[in-house]
Amino acid sequence: MIKVIEPNTDNVTIKAVKALMTEIHRDDAKDRNKDRNYVNMQVNPCKMCMPMGGALALKGVKNAMTIIHGSQGCSTYIRRHMAAHYNEPIDIASSSLSEEGTVYGGSKNLKIGFRNLVNMYQPEVVGVLTTCLAETIGDDIERIVREVRDTGEFEGIDIIPIPTPGYGGSQTEGYFDTIKALMAYFVKKPVHVGKVLEEALEPLEPFINIILSDATCEDVREIKRMVELFGVKAIFIPDISDALDAPFTNHYNKLSEEGISREELKKVIYAKATIELGDLVGPNHSPALFLEEEFGVKAYRLPLPIGINNTDCLVHALAEVLDTDIPKALEVERGRLMDGMIDAHKHSATGDIAVFGDMNLVMGIAGLVLENGMHLKLAATGSMSKRFKEQLESKLDQYHQKAEILQDTDYETIREVIQQEGVNLMMGPSDGKFIWEKDHVDFIRVGFPVHDHVGAQRKNLMGYKGSLIFLDEITNHLLDQKHKGYRDRMYQTYYPKKESHKPIQADEAVR
Amino acid sequence: MSESKKLVDKVLDIYPAKVMKNRKSHMVIKDASVKQEIAANTRAIPGIITNRGCAYAGCKGVVIGPIVDMVHIVHGPVGCSYYAWGTRRNKGKAREGGQNFLEYAFTTDMQESDIVFGGEKKLRAAIDEAVELFHPKAISISATCPVGLIGDDIHAIARDKSKEHGLKILAFSCEGYKGVSQSAGHHIANNKLMTDVIGTIDTPAKEFSINLLGEYNIGGDEWEIARVLTKIGYNIISTMTGNGAIDEIANAHKADLNVIQCHRSINYVAEMVETKYGLPWIKVNFIGVEGFSKALRDMAKYFDDPALTARTEAVIAEETTSIEEEMAGYKALLDGKTAVLFVGGSRAHHYQGLLREIGIETIVAGYEFGHRDDYEGRDVIPYIKVDADSRNIEEIHVEKDEKKYSLRIPASRAEQLKKEIPWASYDGLLSEMKDGTLVIDDLNHIETEQIIKILKPEFFGSGIKDKYMVQKMGVYAKQMHSYDYSGPYAGYQGAVNFSRDVAAGILTPAWKYITAPWYKEPLLSGKVEGVEQVC
Repeated sequence: MIKVIEPNTDNVTIKAVKALMTEIHRDDAKDRNKDRNYVNMQVNPCKMCMPMGGALALKGVKNAMTIIHGSQGCSTYIRRHMAAHYNEPIDIASSSLSEEGTVYGGSKNLKIGFRNLVNMYQPEVVGVLTTCLAETIGDDIERIVREVRDTGEFEGIDIIPIPTPGYGGSQTEGYFDTIKALMAYFVKKPVHVGKVLEEALEPLEPFINIILSDATCEDVREIKRMVELFGVKAIFIPDISDALDAPFTNHYNKLSEEGISREELKKVIYAKATIELGDLVGPNHSPALFLEEEFGVKAYRLPLPIGINNTDCLVHALAEVLDTDIPKALEVERGRLMDGMIDAHKHSATGDIAVFGDMNLVMGIAGLVLENGMHLKLAATGSMSKRFKEQLESKLDQYHQKAEILQDTDYETIREVIQQEGVNLMMGPSDGKFIWEKDHVDFIRVGFPVHDHVGAQRKNLMGYKGSLIFLDEITNHLLDQKHKGYRDRMYQTYYPKKESHKPIQADEAVR
Repeated sequence: MSESKKLVDKVLDIYPAKVMKNRKSHMVIKDASVKQEIAANTRAIPGIITNRGCAYAGCKGVVIGPIVDMVHIVHGPVGCSYYAWGTRRNKGKAREGGQNFLEYAFTTDMQESDIVFGGEKKLRAAIDEAVELFHPKAISISATCPVGLIGDDIHAIARDKSKEHGLKILAFSCEGYKGVSQSAGHHIANNKLMTDVIGTIDTPAKEFSINLLGEYNIGGDEWEIARVLTKIGYNIISTMTGNGAIDEIANAHKADLNVIQCHRSINYVAEMVETKYGLPWIKVNFIGVEGFSKALRDMAKYFDDPALTARTEAVIAEETTSIEEEMAGYKALLDGKTAVLFVGGSRAHHYQGLLREIGIETIVAGYEFGHRDDYEGRDVIPYIKVDADSRNIEEIHVEKDEKKYSLRIPASRAEQLKKEIPWASYDGLLSEMKDGTLVIDDLNHIETEQIIKILKPEFFGSGIKDKYMVQKMGVYAKQMHSYDYSGPYAGYQGAVNFSRDVAAGILTPAWKYITAPWYKEPLLSGKVEGVEQVC
């Protein structure tokens, strides 16, 4: 019987030296000064378009419907992708613009579509999103919506025009712009001013506005629970928690009764503060800054609360806003995460990680990766963002690490870097599956869209609790990599080999 | 009053008068005693939550996209390319020494400045980049909505770049707003295949050469079909376009027969090829045991070769025997169930036979983007009113190619054959339906809801957009476009796969737990050892 040598590849010192050498090697080897292999062509894009983000935001508004002004395809594709990810009915209307509409303007189609939609769904709020087509033919949706309102037919329905040209940015900008448009509409609308003031005279329960990007439904529920531990109500704009992860009731709700209501939207200016989680879109896209500038609601722009550091930021901000102590329960949860981080440390250090997808999510996960001593090899997003690069660079400096940072990139480039850097675990949306299939790199699906696994909508990676669940998942992936055939690997590495020695097959190796 | 009639009244009752009139014309309760007419391929009503897609989806997504050795560049903003990336599950394998780009999505990712100043420069450069790295056999350029509007001349670019790089570059003006559904895109794609691809390579074909048309290899369908056809002795010159290769399609005219699976998406090519090269087509249905066997027998009748016919019968016997027992098992489990099918331009028809084989009767069926001939049969084509939307899609006219034209079958025998096999003919979905069942075109959410409520089917075959609303109401919904990551469903082995999946879906114990036990029976409470227990 052959003696089994105890594994020591997870020795942190060796790993650290190896990492250092890789870094030195990398600095010498190349100086990548572009984010994509191809300047004019995206090969496997790592982003979606603005109406997708807009549609997602509107799904978190109570009794709201969306009509996308453009070709049917825009609405159909977006519904298809959201349904595959959330496993929920996604009803989004289209103005079904045809060739005639592109010549004579789409006003007629949009108006008919709007009327039909209202008749069938009786929504309280209707978001009108534009598309490449509507914007290119120059349809003035502000005017069209005004004309619809002026008919007086739709009294009591809030109709909100939201420009989201597909070429104007990624889904992230679409998401934030839509939130901003919702706010601008509800807090500015003159006919409501009287009412708002009246309501304001009533003593309002203290509350905080939370704008959360790239969150799963469970993440929203978790952050809501955390904020409520402070004894204060949180209004999520939007609130997708139950709307896109609805329990089975044997009934199809045409309109979601979950989500932020328009009454709540009208009150956002009376919040103690707005905390915007996901801080990478430019200031002009930020709803929190909009509320601060226009109505003096204090704005906090923080990274997504993934990992201990980022969650601490959120908890600090909440304590500061409310001028209160940190709830005991949260300290316990933080302690538990801390405990888990220490337990995981030696396994964490075996991780050579690539993270890709939505920029805010990538930034959040990168934080968790770095603070746990994993080696971040690649952080990549398809969105264009200088802030992404800057923030990530300073974070890497903080942990004395170097990693490839790509913005405005595509999956072909991501794959190349993953191969070069010897990444052993990737995290991102399902689109990474092609790399997983071809190069067999271990893969945790996270973000949007995840259409080849179930449950992405109820995954929890935010807050102390979520961070620990997520960290455990990462650690177990790394552990599985080690466990898988390590006896044979040890044997091959350490057992002295003779010339005549016949290589041992993995399955006849020592048990 | 029949259930179907009740349903139609209830559904129409929801609508305002104008919409009601429109939708009514898209619904027919089957009555075999009269010639029935249905409205189809007309504009979807805005705002009604149609399940239809756009011309781009039909062209790039359906017809052109599955060709494996082409780089398919989507010229436009990023979304269109991203959303059509791999979502149709059309499988493909590289030919020996060839390439396979099916896992890729290529786009010019147009930005605002490209919309303002034009995207031609970017497209030219993107083609250069594609050639430089991938060295593909051919390239396609698919236009998205803004392209036609800003005046980018993709056809001129394709011509220039084709000359420069010495490879085929096909440009498709399939802007999303064209036509009334993805059907317009099929037509646009068909035209280009005809003018620029088919007939450009002349490799002599062996005996029993065929093309499979309108078969897209979803979940490996084409592979199962090809397995059986090859076993019988057929030579498949090309498949349009599932697992298709550009040079094979270029040589398609050398075959002796076109067999058409999806009539809607490819009938234009079939017709034009017959006119130009004399190569006839027959309509087949590769779905279901009987369907597949009938297709094989029809094909054998066409070739009229005793050895081929004998092999056909031998293979049918062998294949059907091997699955008989398992199919009977599923039938025993599913007998008496009912189905609603709303899919495609042909699948709502094709799957009815297979469902019947496992005891499931289709009570409602409809197409998302079918035309009247897909419902009523091709006889109706001369009487279809061509509206403005259809007129905007170019209708190309081909003429006999004197050099390459040849009659495969003597005219006299052809006349006889036309009586025996579906030679250039298709009877449509209505012919398959039983009296009293309902046919609905371009079904939408509100109608689906009523169908489920009133008819309570056990099986709803449609797409992912309506899947979850149906399942929320406690009814099993199967994705008939992408097969829920399963397949193949065509051919003999496919029939087994489909039946297994359907049985698993309808019979999953989960449905039994829908109603919580405390709603079904009063709570049992009693005192056990001094402790009140509730169970």
